[in-house]
Amino acid sequence: MAEIRVQGLRKEFGALVALDDVSFSFPESRVTCLLGPSGCGKTTLMRIIAGLERATRGDVYFGGQRVTHLPPRKRNIGMVFQYPVVYRGISVAENIELPLKSEKLSKAERTARVAEVVEILGLGDHVAKDITQLDNGTRQKVAVARAVARQPRIILFDEPITNVDANAKLQLKRAFKELTRRLEQTIIYVTHDQTEAMTLADQIALMQDGRIVQCDAPRELYNHPSDVFGGWFLGNPGMVFVDGTLSANGSGTVVTAPLFPAPVPTAGGASDEPATAVTVGIRPEHIRVATGDAPGAVAADLLRKSITVGRQYLLSLRVGDVAFKAKVTPQVGESLPARGAVWVTLPPERVTLFAPNGNRVDATLTQPR
Amino acid sequence: MAQVGTRRLEGVGGIAGARSRPRGRPFRKLDDSRFFPLVLLLPILIFFLIWNVVPLLWLVGLSFYRYDLTSPEPARWLGLDNFTAIYNDAQVWGALGRTLSFMFFSVGLQTVLGVVLGLLFWGSSRMPGRRLALTLLFAPMLLPPIAIGSYWRLIYDPIFGVLNYYAREIFGQRYDFLGSKDYAFPAAVAVDVWMWTPFMILMTLAALASVPKAELEAAEVDRLPWLKRLWYVVLPHGKFILMLGILLRTIDAFKTTDMIFVMTKGGPGVKTELIGLTVWRRGFASFSMGAASALAVIALLIAIAFTSIYLYVLNYRETRGQFR
Repeated sequence: MAEIRVQGLRKEFGALVALDDVSFSFPESRVTCLLGPSGCGKTTLMRIIAGLERATRGDVYFGGQRVTHLPPRKRNIGMVFQYPVVYRGISVAENIELPLKSEKLSKAERTARVAEVVEILGLGDHVAKDITQLDNGTRQKVAVARAVARQPRIILFDEPITNVDANAKLQLKRAFKELTRRLEQTIIYVTHDQTEAMTLADQIALMQDGRIVQCDAPRELYNHPSDVFGGWFLGNPGMVFVDGTLSANGSGTVVTAPLFPAPVPTAGGASDEPATAVTVGIRPEHIRVATGDAPGAVAADLLRKSITVGRQYLLSLRVGDVAFKAKVTPQVGESLPARGAVWVTLPPERVTLFAPNGNRVDATLTQPR
Repeated sequence: MAQVGTRRLEGVGGIAGARSRPRGRPFRKLDDSRFFPLVLLLPILIFFLIWNVVPLLWLVGLSFYRYDLTSPEPARWLGLDNFTAIYNDAQVWGALGRTLSFMFFSVGLQTVLGVVLGLLFWGSSRMPGRRLALTLLFAPMLLPPIAIGSYWRLIYDPIFGVLNYYAREIFGQRYDFLGSKDYAFPAAVAVDVWMWTPFMILMTLAALASVPKAELEAAEVDRLPWLKRLWYVVLPHGKFILMLGILLRTIDAFKTTDMIFVMTKGGPGVKTELIGLTVWRRGFASFSMGAASALAVIALLIAIAFTSIYLYVLNYRETRGQFR
């Protein structure tokens, strides 16, 4: 159990910069998900923390100890790989026990630890089986059991459920949830699957192009992305972005955008700045769509309506020449025509503003008076 | 219709895609035909038939005849007489025994040395000059056994051999390695080991390369001691390739002839006479082609038996699920 801190970590593979001077702290006894698209450097970061990869520059600390130059075996970590790694020719129980044999533990202690993880992971039916009799999902459970049974201070998961079938995925996710609740180890979990990150993490560190762009609790990250990338990457589909203008109008600043019928006043913006371009971002499920006019609504063209996960409806809409998507509940979706004229409202409190450089603007929209 | 569909799907993606292109490609008919693979195989099959199958049948046939090149008589049918004569021939049994112990010692030493050196090479991936060292190490394997036999006869030479120079420097005396009844056999084994250890290094490196990286990394993270790593991680993946190497070496060692022929011609006495040399002696020194053929047939059967044992072992492990 220790905090993991990386400082000025840089990794170059030839001309490719996989990690771009990352400084970050993974809090003790929490689950931190490293989330990001393929190639963003999340696996590289984890492998450097594990010691399987050497950083071009920078340091790794576990608690107060500098471990940058220690080999993996001296770092006292547990790790679960993308492909289920099991040792062949021995049973499930022996697999879990094998690393314990190198520790100074009594036979009774070893048996107790094996029994504990077997129980948490629901491997009870498999303990005596040979490893070759198991499917991938169960093998991965064995790998997880082996990693946690040694009770290392840090456990690293490298996309552990990418290569198992859907049913086993659910089971594993449930097992992880249970594990992280019971064990109070510092856990880093690498994934490119946002649902996985959302369900498992205490906090998500969002990565892009070798940098950690934001780290927050899942809900916070989802609702208030600190830049355009977070808005775009999270959610299915991601945020809707519309170009707008931020300008002064005597008493304060207002935002003008095609999706607002009239300029919307902001709170927190300075009133004397010249007009600037902003990006208006909103989650598709926060957009209100109705057949009738309402205050704050604009007329829109419904181009396509399709059903999606949870019987929600995904709508393709257009206002003027701005095309965007919205997600509505089954009730609303059913009440809408297949295509034609509708009214769209963007609730101001749900809107996030971004500057042209992609960063969030520290100004929120308020209800027009 | 549905069948046509499934047959299309069986093809590899790229090929299936190419097939659906518009017509006008030459050989299209041939390409689609199920005889096409056969046509591709035909040249090598013909070669195999002429150079392997026919001589083999000829050999088996000859083994039932008395056919001496020194006598003007035509070949005479003997039935199994050649084989019973071999059965009662102490010289043949002696040669077989020597061949087996030659196989045992040379393949055993090659395997042990090859595995150890292979592991060392594997573990020293950052050693400077590693590539050069590997290339040099493989040199003996690339030379013809005849050449190797000649080199070593010179190296072992009691008068001006380089080995005896050092023997005299260190022990103060000369050794007639190939001429002495005590040293000739170990000396022959040593040359075979020198020649074929690189092959076992190569097989060991190939076996090690077949171990998934993630498993080695997991073992490192799990802090397994190196012996356990070898046993639980490396061996389960690498043992098939290693077994294949041992199999190939065993069969090859069984038929070692040329190298020994150049160095000792089987001597002193019969100290280094392996079964291949006995066949040669019967056929081309005594010109008894029938008896030599019979002996060759027996040697062939023994080689087939070895192959079958190994294949059975490989197969047995595999069906127990090691590859699944």
